Amino acid sequence: MKRSYRGVVLLSLVLFLNIVCTQQTVNAYYYEKYETVILFCGLNLLLFPVAFWIYKRERDVK
Amino acid sequence: MGQGHNVNGDSKANNKNGKIPFDEDNYTHNIHKDNERSLDRRSFMKLMAGAAGVFAVSTLPWGAIAAKELAGFGNKKYTAAKITDISEIKVGEAIEFAYPGKHDSALLIRLGENEFKAYQNACTHLKCPVFWSKEQGEMVCPCHHGVFDPKTGAPTAGPPRRPLPEIVLEREQGAIIATGVKRYEA
Ligand code: FES
Repeated sequence: MKRSYRGVVLLSLVLFLNIVCTQQTVNAYYYEKYETVILFCGLNLLLFPVAFWIYKRERDVK
Repeated sequence: MGQGHNVNGDSKANNKNGKIPFDEDNYTHNIHKDNERSLDRRSFMKLMAGAAGVFAVSTLPWGAIAAKELAGFGNKKYTAAKITDISEIKVGEAIEFAYPGKHDSALLIRLGENEFKAYQNACTHLKCPVFWSKEQGEMVCPCHHGVFDPKTGAPTAGPPRRPLPEIVLEREQGAIIATGVKRYEA
């Protein structure tokens, strides 16, 4: 059975970016660079719809 | 009796007896539904998408506090507070106090006759209280042996990467007054 792993790979990528953004958010917070905090927080929030979109698109690929 | 019958009746099984129980090449004989394996991948992707959601929600508080901080025009206002009388602290010694809040523990170190430094002493690694080690002439964190330079607050060893926030000091009639907390530069 040949399966497509594209969805899993793409979602792994999204989760990796999630980790990076979370880490950067917390870092920037302690350095009191609040603009940067908001930026990475926003990125992290945006990644969720992206993940959901990938999931929906790849869900039915056999 | 039944055993003997089986062996005689199925010569193929007889040949393989003692090796593998039956024909299989992919160890998936226990998967019956047609797309059970692709369903597996699907629910895994669902889990990953959910994890992305958790990440998103978990950064929300940080963003909210940052937004609040920005709305408060950046520079917080500190009220001056007396830490101690100079006569009460000898050169090379340190005392603990709390600034700016009741629960923000801090450390005042007298490095020289006229040299005072104060830092918030929650370790920048995982918030253990950093103490002043007179023998080493350094600020030391007991938890994972983080070491900070008392002149600048910068971490010199161990896991911490960020300097301790420095407290701005002033002298007034033989007393040391805390007037604010320095912001990190750029
Ligand atoms: S908490 Fe201070 S070194 Fe880890």
